[in-house]
Amino acid sequence: MTTTPTATAPPEAPPLRRTRRSKETVLAWGFLAPSIVVFALFLAYPLGRTVYLSMHGNDIIGRPSRFVGFSHFAEMASPEFGQVLLTTLLFTLGTVVPGVAGALAIVLLLEGVIRGQRLLRGAFALPFAFSVASASVIFVVFYSSGNSVLNGILYRVGLSQVPWLTSQEMALWSVCITTVWMNLGYGVLVLAAGIGSIPKEINEAARIDGATGVRLARDVTVPMLGPQLFFLIVISTINALQGFGQIHILTRGGPSGSTTTLVYSIFEEAFAYSTSDFGRASAQALVLLLVVLVCTAIQFGSIERKVHYA
Amino acid sequence: MRISPRRHAVRAAALITGLGLVLSGCSGGGGGGESTLTAPGADVLEGLDEAVQVEFWHSMDATNGQVLDGLIEEFNAQNEGRIEVTGSFQGDYDTALAAHRAAIQQGETAELIMIFDLGTQFMIDSGQTVPAQSFIDADGYDTDPIEDALLNYFTVDGELRSFPFNNSTPLMYINRDAFEEAGLDPDSPPTDLAEIREAAEELTVRDDDGTVVQYGFGAATYGWFVEQFMARAGVPYCDNANGRSGRATEVLYDDPKVVEMIEWWQGMVDDELAVHIGRNTDDAQAAFTSGRAAMTLESTGSLGGFIEQSDFEVGAGYFPLVEAGDPGGSIIGGASLWINGEGHSEQEVRASWEFVQFLLTPESQSTWHAGTGYLSVNTEGYDGPEAQERAEEFPQFSVAAAQLADSEINENTAGCMMGVMADARAAAEEGWETALTSDTPAEDAMAEAADRLNTPIEEYNASVED
Repeated sequence: MTTTPTATAPPEAPPLRRTRRSKETVLAWGFLAPSIVVFALFLAYPLGRTVYLSMHGNDIIGRPSRFVGFSHFAEMASPEFGQVLLTTLLFTLGTVVPGVAGALAIVLLLEGVIRGQRLLRGAFALPFAFSVASASVIFVVFYSSGNSVLNGILYRVGLSQVPWLTSQEMALWSVCITTVWMNLGYGVLVLAAGIGSIPKEINEAARIDGATGVRLARDVTVPMLGPQLFFLIVISTINALQGFGQIHILTRGGPSGSTTTLVYSIFEEAFAYSTSDFGRASAQALVLLLVVLVCTAIQFGSIERKVHYA
Repeated sequence: MRISPRRHAVRAAALITGLGLVLSGCSGGGGGGESTLTAPGADVLEGLDEAVQVEFWHSMDATNGQVLDGLIEEFNAQNEGRIEVTGSFQGDYDTALAAHRAAIQQGETAELIMIFDLGTQFMIDSGQTVPAQSFIDADGYDTDPIEDALLNYFTVDGELRSFPFNNSTPLMYINRDAFEEAGLDPDSPPTDLAEIREAAEELTVRDDDGTVVQYGFGAATYGWFVEQFMARAGVPYCDNANGRSGRATEVLYDDPKVVEMIEWWQGMVDDELAVHIGRNTDDAQAAFTSGRAAMTLESTGSLGGFIEQSDFEVGAGYFPLVEAGDPGGSIIGGASLWINGEGHSEQEVRASWEFVQFLLTPESQSTWHAGTGYLSVNTEGYDGPEAQERAEEFPQFSVAAAQLADSEINENTAGCMMGVMADARAAAEEGWETALTSDTPAEDAMAEAADRLNTPIEEYNASVED
C-alpha cells in the first residue's frame, strides 16, 4: 500500500491518490474474493453452523427445533463421556507411539541392508496403498471370533486363543494394531525420504569420528530426521483423533462401548440408529476441534522446539 | 487507516457466513407442491401423456438386489408407457433411513421407500406416507393370502401402515453330521435353552491338550434375538402393550426371562460349551459353516448360504424357547414398503401402489422367495414353480413356515412399536455384551441398558410434538 503520507503533499495529490488507492483496493478484493468465498463456504459457514446446531435440540427428522443453550455441553460432564475421551486418548497413544517408533525402526534397520533396500522399503511402504476399508476387512478375517486366522496360527504353534474383538480389554488394542499397520507405510515413506536427504558429509564425518550402529543412529540420523519425525507425530495424532473407518468396520464401537472414540460417538449421535441428533453431535464435534487444536498447539510448543531444521 | 482493509475482510466474511446461515435456515422444511394423503383410485392413471415415474429407494444389494431389479424390469415391461419404476440402492437399512430423513428435510422424498421394521414408528410419526390400509380399503384389496404374522407385525392401531416385503424370521441351525457323530438325533433338535446345553455337552469336542476344536453352540449377541426370545417367552418388549395401546415409555428387557437367557449364555461360554462370538453375525455364520460351532441362531435368509458354504449337512429347528412351556411366539424381522404422499401427485401415489400390488402377487413372491430366501409375503407364493423348486432344494425351510404358523398372533408377537427402536436394540446388545464381558451381573447390565434408554424415549416422544 502507499505509505507515509507527508504533511507537505501537494494539494492536488489526494484526489489522484484516492482513486489509485480505491482501484488498488478493488483489485485486491478481486484477487482475494475466490479464497474468501472458499474460506467462508467451507470453513467459516460450517463452523458457524456447528455452533448454531450445538445449541439446539432436534425434531425427529433432525431439524433444529428448540434452543437448549449449553445443555449439550453440560451433559458431557458425565462418566460416559469421560470414558469416550479416555478411549480416544488410549487410541491416540496406542497408534501414534508404535506407529512412529515402528516406522523409524524399520527405516533405520533398512539402512544396514545394502542389497534389495529399495525393494524392502517398497514392501514396507505398501500398506499405504490400502484404503481404510479394505485393510479393515482383511483384519476382520484375521480377528473374526467365528473362525480367526490369527487364532488358527496361535493354535498351530500351541499358544492360547485371543479374544481379539470380543473382550473389552483387548478390542481397542486390536483396532490399534490394525491402525498401526495401516499407518506404517506412510511413516516409512516419509522417513525414508528424510534419510535420503541427510547430507552424506554428515554421515561420513560421524563415521570418521568412529560412530557406528546404534551410536550413529541415535546421535546423528535420528536428530537429522527431526522435521520428518515431528511431521509424522503431528499428522498421526490428528489421524488418530479422526480415525473412524477401522472402528466402524471392526467393532462398531463395541464391545460395550470399549472402542467408542470421540469421532465414533459423534457418528452414533448424528447418523446411527433411530434419531438424527445433530445437536449433540455438533457439540461433541466442537469438543473434538478443541482437542485437535490443543494437541497440535502442545506439539508445536514442546516438540518442535527440539527439532533441528538442517 | 491501514487496518481498514482487514476490518472490511472480517465484515465481509461475517456477512457471507451470516447469509449462509439464513439461506440454510430457509432451505429446511417445505415440500414440492401437491400432496396426496389418501389413496387415489385407478382412474388417475387414465389418459396419461407419458409414463409416471416412480423412484424406489431400497436396501437390497448383491443377489437380493438383482432379484429385485428383475422384478422391476418385469413390471416396467408390463406397464410400458404407463408407469416406470426406477430402483435406487440406498445402503443398509440405517443409512437408507438417514437418507430418507434428509430427503424429508429437503422435501424430496422418493415415491416408494423400503424401511426396516425398527423405523415403523418413526415413519408413522413423520406423517409423510399414505397408510397401506387406505389403499386396501379404497380398492377392496384382498389381504387373505398375505401371511397373518406379517400383517400383525406391520399393523398399528388396527391399520396396516406399510406393506410387508422383505421379511424373515430366525431359526436354530444345526450341523446334522456333528449331531450324528455325537449320538444325537438330528431330526429332533433341542427346543429350549436347557436342551441346547445338554446337546452342547455331547457336541463339544476337545483335542488332546483340552483345547476346544468344536463348540456345541455359537451365535451372535444380536439384539434381534432379544426381541425373539421375549416373543417366544410371551412377554412384551416395551410397556403400554408393546407400545400399541399408547406410546411406549420404557423398554422391559430387564425381564427375568431375558436375564435367565443371558445367564445361561454366560454359563455356556464359561464352561466352553459355546464360543463367544460378539455382535457380528458374519462371525457367527463363519463359526457355524467352518464347523467350529455345531448349533447357531440365524435368520431364514441365511439358509442358502449355510448349505452352500458348509461341507456338512445343515438342519434347522425352531428358534429356542427360554424355558419349556413358554408360549412360543415368533417375531418377524426385515423391512416393509412405504408409499410417500407428502409432496407427491395422485398419479405417483397410485403408480407406486400398482407396483406394490405387482410385488405382492403369488408369481412375484414365488420369484422373490426363491431368489432371496425371504418369506413369501403372499402365502400362495409358495405354490409357484420357482418356490417349489427351492423347497425341493432346501427342505429345511419348511421349519420356518411351520414356526410362523405355530406362532400366536398377539401383542407380544407383533413386536414393540417405539420411535427409538433402533437405539433400543443397540442398547440391548450393549447390556448383553456388558454381562458377558465384565463382572456386571446380567440383571444389572440389562436394567442399566433399559434405564439408559429412558432419556432418548422421553426426548423422542417430546420431539414428536415439536
